[in-house]
Order: sequence, then structure tokens, then C-alpha cells
Amino acid sequence: MRFAKYLGKRLIISLITLVGVVLVLVLMTKLIPGDPARVIAGLNASDQEVARIRQSMGLDQPVLIQFGHFILNLLHGNLGTSARTGNPVVGEIATRLPFTLELAICGTLIGIVFGVLLGVLAAVRKGTWVESVVSALGVMGISMPVYWLGLLLIILFAVQLKWLPVAGASTVNSIVLPAVAVGVSLVAVISRVTNSSMIDVLGQDYVRSVRAKGSPERVAVFTHALRNALIPVITVVGLEFGTLLGGAVLTETVFGWPGIGQLAVTSIQARDYPMVQGIVFVFAIMFIIVNIITDVMYTVVDPRVKLHG
Amino acid sequence: MSSRSSSVPTSMGIPPRRRRAVAQAATFLGTVALTVPLLAACTTGSTTPGPDASAGDSAKFTIAIASDLDTVDPAQSTTTAAMNVIDYGTQGLTVLDDKGSVQPALATSWDVSEDGKTLTFHLRKGVKFQDGAAFTATAAKFNLERLLDTTIKAPQRTPYTVISSVDAVDANTLKLTLTQPAPDLVKQLASTPASFISPDSVTKDGNTYKNIVHPVGTGPYAFKEFKSGQEATFTKFNDYWGKKPYYGTVVFDIVPEANTRESMLLSGQADMIVSPPVADLKQLKANSSVSVINAPSVRTIFMAMNNQQPPFNDEKVRQALNYAVDKQAIIKNILGGTAQVADSPLPVGLSGYCKAGAYPYDPEKAKALLKEAGVGDLSVVLGSPSNHYVQDIQASQAVAGYLSKVGVTAKVETTDWPSYLANITAPLEKQQYNLHMLGGAAVGLDAQTQFNLLRQKNWPPASTATSFYTNPQVETLINEGLVETDQTKRDADLCQAQKIIWNDAPWIFLWTQNQILAHSSKVEGITTIPNEKYNTISARPVK
Repeated sequence: MRFAKYLGKRLIISLITLVGVVLVLVLMTKLIPGDPARVIAGLNASDQEVARIRQSMGLDQPVLIQFGHFILNLLHGNLGTSARTGNPVVGEIATRLPFTLELAICGTLIGIVFGVLLGVLAAVRKGTWVESVVSALGVMGISMPVYWLGLLLIILFAVQLKWLPVAGASTVNSIVLPAVAVGVSLVAVISRVTNSSMIDVLGQDYVRSVRAKGSPERVAVFTHALRNALIPVITVVGLEFGTLLGGAVLTETVFGWPGIGQLAVTSIQARDYPMVQGIVFVFAIMFIIVNIITDVMYTVVDPRVKLHG
Repeated sequence: MSSRSSSVPTSMGIPPRRRRAVAQAATFLGTVALTVPLLAACTTGSTTPGPDASAGDSAKFTIAIASDLDTVDPAQSTTTAAMNVIDYGTQGLTVLDDKGSVQPALATSWDVSEDGKTLTFHLRKGVKFQDGAAFTATAAKFNLERLLDTTIKAPQRTPYTVISSVDAVDANTLKLTLTQPAPDLVKQLASTPASFISPDSVTKDGNTYKNIVHPVGTGPYAFKEFKSGQEATFTKFNDYWGKKPYYGTVVFDIVPEANTRESMLLSGQADMIVSPPVADLKQLKANSSVSVINAPSVRTIFMAMNNQQPPFNDEKVRQALNYAVDKQAIIKNILGGTAQVADSPLPVGLSGYCKAGAYPYDPEKAKALLKEAGVGDLSVVLGSPSNHYVQDIQASQAVAGYLSKVGVTAKVETTDWPSYLANITAPLEKQQYNLHMLGGAAVGLDAQTQFNLLRQKNWPPASTATSFYTNPQVETLINEGLVETDQTKRDADLCQAQKIIWNDAPWIFLWTQNQILAHSSKVEGITTIPNEKYNTISARPVK
């Protein structure tokens, strides 16, 4: 019952957020410089053709009318037609979204597994060379531009060793290099958060009691300390995963990975407003859902946390 | 708080610290062992089906291209990248060969009436569309009328609007009636927007009359599928009327990053790539497993000056800036030798091109001309795109450098393409650049498209004659030349127009950009057309 009440409240807030998002998206068409019709038509198109395209895009209509159209389309389950391709926006997003999801999930898994492990290791081995190494790896991971890392991974694993494909999504192991590229900075971030959180928790009284009880260190660390140390980690993972859902643009560009990020950039560069609006709207929904799930996860990890409406 | 050896007695003979290390190692390995199947779950992602096994030849040719295809509908096509891909499957009445000359395609010959207003095409017999339908004059009529139908979005329709009616005289004869003579029209009919799809296909495979997503043409390869952002696949058409290609399947992989395309070529994942990174050309040329094609194109790069704004309204100033820039040096050092210095407002390869003159690098002459014009030190704003043309921003900065040496301080400004386009097509009073870089390329290799950049009716905000240049004599010569049916008189008119424009110097005439491709040296038979298109239909493995 409490949960249902909580969910209800969150849903109402989410709806208000989404309305705000749509307003901004519609305003965007008026505020951003650049004439979509000329961009899409190209330099050589005559002014008559450009005018025709401009008219068909309906961008000269007032903000409220455009807002109304967007909502009306939404209620019919469609997000309009791409000005660049002439194809339905929903179809294009539906084609690209699975790839972004795949990259986000795999990258995050790598981040969680190795990030938590390294973070725990560094915390448990605090003051030794292990901690220094993990810390250094963390700094490297965060500082390395993903573009550069991606190109290096390609050169080593795809061109020199020929173990993996260079780019694209056409084979089963095409996901490996992109996921690693995305995962590396996640590992760095998550290991640092886990490390500091673990150190904090390991110093708590209840951990000392567990040790004093005579339990093995392994039990103290994994069964008792880690669970509590995970709360900030969940926050970070939730945020990072949510961001990845918007498409890891740089990774997608380097690897030719056909995700939503690439589509967003192409659409922005073409001033394809219907597509940009559709992508941002879908992303907003996904981000809201991820946030709700993250909040719920807290209660799973720590029963003391209660969901407040 | 740190983990030291516990004082708990152990029943195992191994010391506690070692035991802990072993346990931790085991946990680590165990986690890795668990992760691998999890990651494996991630790798059961998408796959593409292998080449069509029922095609005669199971070999596949892979091309890595730089931009996503906005459409596969010939009538709607507007970017050269998309047109190049569509061309594998569809054909029109004529085609351009690798020198840019018109050759017969679906029309074997044509007659032009005395007054130049009627074109009669004799169509090739025995041609089939990839869906089995016969190609006839009725199919050709359907397509041309569709192109002219203003309910269809066709940004490149303009050259064809001179056609007032299309008649299928009989199954193999097509008659076009024009509103005025258009000597370049036959050449324009070789362009992708004027290519033909099977009328029957317009209601199948997701196609609608307004939007073709599965083009069915008469070309050597049949369109199979297009996955947005990923790849376009074509398979060999076994009933093709002409010479059959070698490869059974052609795949166009969409890979926006130039360095990644290069890696694909080096690893063998691609047989050919477009636009490799300019910085790596030297290495690629030295690599024996790679062949580099460095072919001229009609993409003309220039700096348009605002001809209506002092001091650029003075011809001497404009000429001075032409002398001030060392184009050869920029081509060598910044473009890696991948361009040709311009010697006319029109590039070599366009119909009607003639050499108009030369502005050799002469900073002293530039300074003298500026002095004659009464211009002292000058501060200007130079607009440039970024990552739109090859090495564009770098070349703009080099030009600014040369200008500074003759007393013109140029501040280089850049922004994203759509904003840039909006800036340069703003009305005269709202122009924010004193001069700006632009590139023109007539995909139909016709003079009119290039001249459009220099005519008053196309001044912004109407269209893209962004130098605000006009010369009444030039306007007359172009008007007359473009409808002149006598080839000699036409060439003379257009040549004189070019020479006057050259002297007027509305632009800093820079260069024509080459088309660069790199392919595996195990493949031969790849050609290019000067309108920035490549052609791998005759490609085959080296014997």
C-alpha cells in the first residue's frame, strides 16, 4: 500500500517533468539558430524547394500549436516524422534504442563488477601498494578520453591482433570493444566511490563487533560491510547508467555503433527537430524510470530506508 | 581497522594470511568466471545475415562510408553520399563516365529538335526492373512525373522543372517537351533524382508514392535492406542488362570516424573506405596492402567576400586578396596534396569550363593593390565551417595567416554547420562575416548550378549566392549561354562570363578538392567520377 502510494506520487511528479520537457523541446525550435529547411535541402536546392520543405515542417507555427500537435501525436502513439529522412520518428528510435541499451548494460556490468572488486580490494588493503595501484588506475581511467581509448583499443585488438572487429554491430563480439571503452571510465568512478565508502563502513562499530565475534574477515567485509557501502555506489551506478541510456555519443562515433547517441548528433546537425524532440522525450522517460528504480533499490539494500512519497 | 592475521586458531595447515589471500584470489577468479557468462549474455546481440547464398557469387565487397543515408528514394536524394549508394541499384536515361561525359544508359540515343525544346529518347530494349517488371517508356514517364510532382519532397528538382510534359510515344520512345532550351538537361538526367524505380514497387515492401524505402531499379545490384546508422546491403541482380559485376554482395558500412574507417581497411574489415584521415595519407600510400585514389572532383572551395560592403566593393581589394594567398603551399602542407589550384570560377569537369586566368602568390603586388585602393591596415571577420570540408578550419586559418602578411588582420570565426549556413544566408544588413569559406559542387556537372552562386537573383536570404556579387554583362552572358543550342557559341559565352568573373574576383579563388579513397591493393577496377562519386561496380580481385 505504501509502495503504491509512493509510486503514485512519483508518477505525478514525472508527468509534470515530462510536460516541462516537451515545452522546452518546442521552444527550442524557435530559439536555436539555423534554418532546418535549408540544411536538409542542401546548398544547391533552389529557394522554391527550400520554401516547400520549410512549409511542410510547420515550424512557423506558434509554440502552443506545436505543443498541442506534439501531445496529440503522443496520444496516438507516434512522435512525428523525421524532417531529415521522412520516416516515422518512433521507428528510427526503435531501431537504434536496443543498441544503446546493449552498450549501456554491458558497459555498466563491466563497470560494476570490476569497479566494486577493485574498490573493495583497495579498501581492504588500505595503506599498501594495492591501494596505490588501484587509485592510480582510477585516475587514469577517469582521465583517459574515451575517444582516444577507443582508437587505441581498435588498433591493438582489431588491427594488430585481429581478435575483434573494428567497428559496427554486425557480429556477436562487436559489443566487446565499445563496452570496454565505456566500462573503463565507469570502473574508475565506481572503484573510487566503492573504496571511500568501504573505508568509511569498515571503520564502523558494527564491523568491529563482527570481527570481535570471531567471524572470518571475508564475512565481515562481504556480508556486512559491502552491503552498507553499496548505497552511494547505487546512486552513482544509477546516474551513470541513466546517462548511458542517452547514448554514449563519442563511443558510438568511434566504433560506428548504431545507437541513439549517433542519431541524436546527426539529427542536431541536420536541425531535424522532430527527431531531436522524439529522442530527448524518450530519453527523459527512461531517465525518470531509472531514477525511480534506483530509489527503490535503496530499500532492497538497506531495509532501514523507507520510501517517502 | 586494517585486516591483520586473526588470532583464531585454524584447523588447516596453511597460515591465516596466506589462506586469506587464497580466498580473495578465489573470490576474484570466481567473480570473473561469473562475469564472463554475463558478458556473453551481452554479446548475444544483433547479427546480420550472411551474403545471399542463392546469388551466383558468394563474395562480398565492403565499403566504409562516412555519413548516414538520409534517404534511399532517388527523387528525394540530396547528398552525394546517399546518391552514390542509390546509384548501385537504379539507373536513368543517361549516365556519366569517369571523365564526367554523358553516355547512354536506359536511353541508347536521343534527338534534340531544332529549337531545342523537344527531346526524344530511344529507350533500351529488353531491360528488366529488379522485381521482374519490364522497363518501358511508361515507367520512365511515371518516374519523371513523380520527380516533378510538388507533393514529393525533392530538393534537387530544380534542373528538371524546365520539363513541361513527358510523353510515352510508344513502349520504347520517350518525348520530353521543355519550356526553353536546356542543353545541359541530358547531362542532368544522369543524376540520381532522375533515375527510375519500378512503378509496381511503389506499393510494396513498405514503399509509398511519397516515400520510397526500398528502391527497385534496373541497375546491376538490387537493394536488399538499409539499417539506419549501420549499413546498406545490395545483392547482384542476375537479369541485369549490362555487364554483370563480380561481387555477389555489396555492403556500405556507416562509420563516421575517419580513423576508424582507416582501421577497418588495415584490418581487412573493409575493402574500400572513403575520406581517410589526411594526416595518414603518406603512410597509406607507402603501405603495400593499400591503394590510394587521389582523383580530381568539381568541389570548388573559395572565400566569398561581401562584394557590397566596403572595402570589398573595390575590385582592387578583392584582387589583392587573391594575390595574397599562397594556395599551392596550403594544398601541399595542409591538404596533403589533395587539391588543384583553381583557375576559373568553374572547376575542370563542368560543362562549359574554360581556364579564366591566374592569381599567382605575390604579396608585394597584393600590398600595392591595397595601397592603390587607398586601404591601409584592415580588420576583418573571416567565417569558416569546421569539419564540413576537408581541413576547412585549418585552411581558413592559413588564409588568415597570409592575409595578415599584407596588412589584413582576419579574425577566424567558426560554428556548427546549420548555424554557419544561417549566418552566410542572412540578409545583407545582417551579415556578420566580411568573408567566409564555402564549397560548391554541381553533382550534375552542369554550369548552371555553379553560376547560381554568382547571380543576383540568388542573393541571400533567397538563396546561396553569398558573395552578393553581380555584373550585368555576366548575367546576360550566362542567360544567353545556358539556353544556346549552338555548342560553340555557348562555350564562347560561358567562357567570357568566367573570364569577367575571374577579373572581378568576387571570391578568393582557392582550389578544387580531390576525392580521396583508399582500398585494398588486392582489388582493382575501382573508378571515380568528378562529381565526387566512386564506382566499384567493375571491381574485382587482382588476378
